[in-house]
Amino acid sequence: MAIPLKYNLRNLRVRWRLTLATTLGVALVVAVFVMVMALARGLKATYVSTGDPRNLLVLRKGSTADTSSQITRDEVRRIKYLAGIARDEHGEPLASAEIVVLATMERIDLSGTANVLVRGVGSMALTLRPSVRLVEGRLFQPGLRECVVSRKIADRFANCRAGQSFRTGKTVWHVVGIFDAARTAYDSEVWVDTEEARKAFNRDFYGSILLRPVNEAAADLTKRMESDRLLQIRVLPETEYFRDQTRTAGLIQFMGAFLATIMSIGAAFSAMNTMYAAVGARTREIGTLRVLGFRRRDIYLSFLIESVLLALVGGALGCLLSLPLNGVATGTFNWTTFSEVAFEFRITGELLAKGLAFALVMGALGGLLPARAAARKPVLDALRAV
Amino acid sequence: MTIHGFILRNALRNQRRLTLTVASVALSLFLFVTLQTALRELTQPATSEEAALRIVVRHKVSLGNVLPVKYQSRIERMPGVAQCMKLTWFGGIYKDEANFFPQFAVDADKLFPVFAESTIDPLQREAFVKEKTACVVGAKTMQRFGWKVGDRITLLGTIWPVDLELIIRGVYHGGIDETNLFFHHDYFDELMPRKGLVGTFWLKVTDASVIPGLVERIDHTFRNTEAETKTETERAFQLGFISMFGNIKLLLSSISSVIVFTLILVTASTMSMTIRERSREIAVLKAVGFDSRQVVGLILAESFGLAMAGGLVGCLGAWLVFGNIDVYSLSRGFFVKFDVTPHIILTGLLVAAALGVVSCLVPAYTSIRASVVDGLKELD
Repeated sequence: MAIPLKYNLRNLRVRWRLTLATTLGVALVVAVFVMVMALARGLKATYVSTGDPRNLLVLRKGSTADTSSQITRDEVRRIKYLAGIARDEHGEPLASAEIVVLATMERIDLSGTANVLVRGVGSMALTLRPSVRLVEGRLFQPGLRECVVSRKIADRFANCRAGQSFRTGKTVWHVVGIFDAARTAYDSEVWVDTEEARKAFNRDFYGSILLRPVNEAAADLTKRMESDRLLQIRVLPETEYFRDQTRTAGLIQFMGAFLATIMSIGAAFSAMNTMYAAVGARTREIGTLRVLGFRRRDIYLSFLIESVLLALVGGALGCLLSLPLNGVATGTFNWTTFSEVAFEFRITGELLAKGLAFALVMGALGGLLPARAAARKPVLDALRAV
Repeated sequence: MTIHGFILRNALRNQRRLTLTVASVALSLFLFVTLQTALRELTQPATSEEAALRIVVRHKVSLGNVLPVKYQSRIERMPGVAQCMKLTWFGGIYKDEANFFPQFAVDADKLFPVFAESTIDPLQREAFVKEKTACVVGAKTMQRFGWKVGDRITLLGTIWPVDLELIIRGVYHGGIDETNLFFHHDYFDELMPRKGLVGTFWLKVTDASVIPGLVERIDHTFRNTEAETKTETERAFQLGFISMFGNIKLLLSSISSVIVFTLILVTASTMSMTIRERSREIAVLKAVGFDSRQVVGLILAESFGLAMAGGLVGCLGAWLVFGNIDVYSLSRGFFVKFDVTPHIILTGLLVAAALGVVSCLVPAYTSIRASVVDGLKELD
């Protein structure tokens, strides 16, 4: 027969000071783990969710980012009317020749500057990106130095609210609308008219072409474009382009794992200390339990369970501590485009479960040796202990 | 038995607990030192007296925009300018994208005058300047890829539509960063379909006092031209880069504080546990004439010693570990250096000392308050 769980719970309550300290220790380790991983996840999710699986992106051969890619006007003309590209109800091809330029912009609290992507887009941009919706104001008018910015840019950078205007170099852009890109990478961009962007930033080329092939034609179209000797381009699915930009997330993830591992060893030591103290103080009880007929195995299990319980309470507390961070917006640097990307901490049920599992391992590791020590105590010695 | 012996015996009598506590303090301080070092590497770019004499001219809109080469001769003529060098980020791929390291097109003859803290064999330097497709590489990158002088390498352009065929003519040591590759700007320009483009101009001034006036003058000269400039000191330029990491500084420092807090919690509870078990002995000590101050002194000495032992193991451990492993390769080039400075070690030891004092507070308070009679009556 197993020793009732109540015995462990009461013991934890009696030694509440030690219980509290150990629990808090575990809680903080779990909280740090969950927070750092939520950061990495939020960042990764931003890129993984960006892009429409139906779209193809055309970049210059050898180029890894649309900020540094160059597509000539001749190439745009040649690609735009290729067979196999879907068309809208007016017969216009669903293709958008775009230019992406880095602009240095002032943060809203004037604490410094950051690189922001300014994307020059054509009339098809919104059709090709159903995740982007205008939520305030209107779209820019071609031929005017007007722009729309994402909600996150408006919140993070100075003079980016609807009705305000900001400068990049010599150009003043009037913000006429705010868009929402459903937490994708486009949420970190400013959109303007392509031709205006080319004039303002003095570019005689485009950066990339986003296009949508008709159903089933993607593979064939890709092959035709890439084998065309007049085109120096590479073609890849839009989703793949964004998935490749998660280098920073990988680094954060590595940091989270490194921190959590070392901190958890420390927390396991602390749990071990607590459990050894518990075993030492309860020597007589252990003897009594043995006399009552509980076997060594029961004692072993009971102490192990107590340690795991201790850590699990800590784990749960740690998860609770980290929860308020869910959805908090922050920004970091994207190495591929050299610009800042805004994203949110993302705490999922799975991540919380991982945090708890992590606590469980700490508790088990911390309890293993003390539980063995408890189980091995000779009955008579244990009873004699004062 | 002397009082020192008494403290030592007390500390050593539960060796398992002592080991666990010292180990957890040591681990936490190891982590603390690691984070502080990472923070320092990320937020405080290496600096030197030479670096204070350098300023950077770039396009006002952002680094993604280029300047016309004709600016060079205009800047060169300005008073206070000792050298004006073209420097353009190439960002090419060597075999695989994971092999990232910085590559720059520069004026070969001006490279070492401008970056005077880097050293190179004079013969190698001459060979580099003479040959158009030559390049010089930092010692760390040479080692990373196992290159030798005379090797030929190909860099595929990602930002620029050109691929480079380079031959390594020299290795430089020291300076701000031993990971860069420098090659001829002329060679780059020759390959480019559009000529005369420059990423930045890297200037060396004659004296630091001319910098404010010169910065103003350069930006003023090119105001209302097709490419307006932004001029700043090398340090401001680097700090601008760092600020783009966003909240990483906040992240690292808050994790550091959480670690310190957890540490205090755990050590303090261990100390309380230790002292509570000895309440009878403390009562005996008081009964034979030790006053409260002496008792507190005993507790403080034990807790302080424990924390310092952990602190020393953790801080020196970090120093030894990071001094002997190649952080540059392990972090895939993310951390160029990972120097555990004396300043950081000292901070770590101070944290340990504070920990020793703080964690004895509760048990000391309890022991002062406890009555002798109650303590003596207690069985265990």
